[in-house]
Amino acid sequence: MTDDNRASPAALFAGSNASRFGRRQRRPRGSRIPVTIVTGFLGAGKTMLIRNLLGRPEGANTAVIVNEYGEVGIDDALLRASSDATVLLGNGCMCCLMRSDLQETMRALFSDRARGAVPNFERVIIETSGLADPGPVLQTFASDRALGEEFHLQALIAVVDAPSGARNLASAPEAEHQVALADRIVLTKSDLVAIDEVDRLTEQLRALTAAPIEKAMGGRIDPAYLLDERLDLPARIGHMHDHSHHDHDHDHAHSQGIDSFTLILPDALPWPVFEQAMAVLTSLRGADLLRVKGLVSVEGCRGPVVVHAVQHVAHRPIELEAWPDGDRRSRLVFITRNLGRDIVEPLFTAVTAIVRG
Amino acid sequence: MNSGDGLIWNFKLVSHNMLDGFGGIGEGMSMQLAKDGRRILWLAHESAPKNFTAVDVTDPKNPKIVARQDLPTSHMRSNSLETVGDILAVAYQTQQPGQQPAGVELFDISTPENPRRISFFDRSGPHSRGVHQLWFTDGKTIHMSSGAADFTPTHPKDDQFYQAIDVSNPSKPQEIGRWWLPGQMQGDNEAPPKRHPAENDSGFRPHNTNVYPERPDRVYMGYLDGGLITLDISDQAHPQMVARWDYHPPNPGFTHTVVPFFERDLLIVSDESTRNDGADWPKLVWIVDNRAEDNPVPIATCPMPPLDVFSRRGGRFGAHNLWENLPKEGCYKSDQVVFGTFFNGGLRAYDLANPYQPKEIAYFTPDVPNAPTGACQLNDVFIDDRGIVYTVDRHIGGLYILEMDF
Repeated sequence: MTDDNRASPAALFAGSNASRFGRRQRRPRGSRIPVTIVTGFLGAGKTMLIRNLLGRPEGANTAVIVNEYGEVGIDDALLRASSDATVLLGNGCMCCLMRSDLQETMRALFSDRARGAVPNFERVIIETSGLADPGPVLQTFASDRALGEEFHLQALIAVVDAPSGARNLASAPEAEHQVALADRIVLTKSDLVAIDEVDRLTEQLRALTAAPIEKAMGGRIDPAYLLDERLDLPARIGHMHDHSHHDHDHDHAHSQGIDSFTLILPDALPWPVFEQAMAVLTSLRGADLLRVKGLVSVEGCRGPVVVHAVQHVAHRPIELEAWPDGDRRSRLVFITRNLGRDIVEPLFTAVTAIVRG
Repeated sequence: MNSGDGLIWNFKLVSHNMLDGFGGIGEGMSMQLAKDGRRILWLAHESAPKNFTAVDVTDPKNPKIVARQDLPTSHMRSNSLETVGDILAVAYQTQQPGQQPAGVELFDISTPENPRRISFFDRSGPHSRGVHQLWFTDGKTIHMSSGAADFTPTHPKDDQFYQAIDVSNPSKPQEIGRWWLPGQMQGDNEAPPKRHPAENDSGFRPHNTNVYPERPDRVYMGYLDGGLITLDISDQAHPQMVARWDYHPPNPGFTHTVVPFFERDLLIVSDESTRNDGADWPKLVWIVDNRAEDNPVPIATCPMPPLDVFSRRGGRFGAHNLWENLPKEGCYKSDQVVFGTFFNGGLRAYDLANPYQPKEIAYFTPDVPNAPTGACQLNDVFIDDRGIVYTVDRHIGGLYILEMDF
């Protein structure tokens, strides 16, 4: 434990069983409210996807945040208006209009919920506007000063429609960002185009991301694909095929310099290794560190430590009570711009050597 | 399931049992690990006509009532109970001083369906209402809040005091120690304690009297209007006060429970709300720095839901019982999370990673149809070593069984 930690109030009354990262948690979200962000270009089918989910038992008690009411098509489901900004839907759901910014909207939602002024929602779904770059929204959830204390970003879903997906990816950098940063991809309207066109689009997506890709039919998809927290990290890593840190074959990417790769580190690290390697990356190339997330095996920790950073902002690390599976290696997903594994991996190796002396 | 979920966050309701219409439970909840492998949860009723109910919670999804007893009279209650092995101890308190039976009854519960009386330890007396609460975790000693035949208080509300009784021979319980706040008994050299304003005058007497194996020489007491009191019982026959933290007035009294988190040098202290509609707000859960044992220092309180909303929900709103990390087999232990019941504020859990800033992480306030006060009045909480959480309603709601989801 560093001197800094010893001076913290938590360490002052720590007890022998304490984790340096606060209470050990069963899952990355701990007690925070899970948030799913649905992104995708206009007409990609975000609204249909969300509307279908809200009607399913699994989607009950969801608060949806939209830019315009029309987007979720709530007219027929409208029961009563509880305030100017919030409309109650069926199935325990509610729809909330985005205020001037997301933080203000979600803070109001959180305090209204504690007061019993709005239904006791279990999760939040945010439908972003089509042209949005999801980076700033992700950053909002990566900081306790913003929303990270109360809300946990469970998944960023990118919706891509088969008829115009390829064109959007080719013409709009935001579309690429949406796909590159996403945890899961939903492919819509694939019945409207030829099979080989779907295959070509899938290849195009694969060049940008290792995230799982599933097809939605008529806006319908297994709700678990959108909501299940267990799908979060292990699924993503599982999709990388490769678990060897020597194998570079499955790195993804490279359109417009966007890169995505996974570092697998077999041995437990002293925490300063991760801290310092990330400090170098964020201070020198923070703008190009689009997203970093993963589980770190830290010396002295019982469970893995969940880390999540978006550009210059890193969320407070969280130690889990236990590893999700038998694999005890650190696994870190990097989504970067012009910053490849060939730079990042040696950096970790060098810092490890320096720290270990 | 007989009721809606109400407000629930990061708990999952596993099952609910209305206890056959006798769903008013006091603050005695104890789990027996029966020799046949069953987990039996013993519940003390809040008031007559029922004494206690035993529920088989081996399968938390399907709780089954296996035993229930009536009280012998209607002018008494069995607010508190504990089990150790196959012995059940039940506290009997009468409505008025001088009434009977007032004391502790011990039962053999080796067959949970058929509790058999072993002995009765009489604590009745002209000024005694008997036993309000008992602590029994080691099979040898009961630490309790009780009156006695030979005790004449300086004020009728101050009739109960700390007593220890040796039950190592359960057929013949014997008193082995007692302590009261100087001035509480007639004949004391000290002046009687100064009364609180009439609307908040609850008395100077112990509520919970907790003793843990980490410090078998200490009793941690909530002493109602007297605040927090720590006793040294290294000489059990002659307890000595080590510390007292009295924060009332300005606060409205009724310190209820003190739970030490030994490794963290913290005490978790709860008040009890006793008046409806927030009339005695604030009744809080306090985090107390106990590094200097003779000078406990409050450093935080657990955040409560908004007063303006909950004071209108009906019934009491404020702190009451805490999960006490009962030092017994089969019980959950944590010095990272505080669990408490808050009457109409339901069951609440707080992350105590930073003791200066307790953070609410879960709550459960069930809808109780036909609740006499209009809202749930969750009264007590028990947690087993499977992480299953049991909470009870004070009036009619019965037993709620939950899983933690945080």
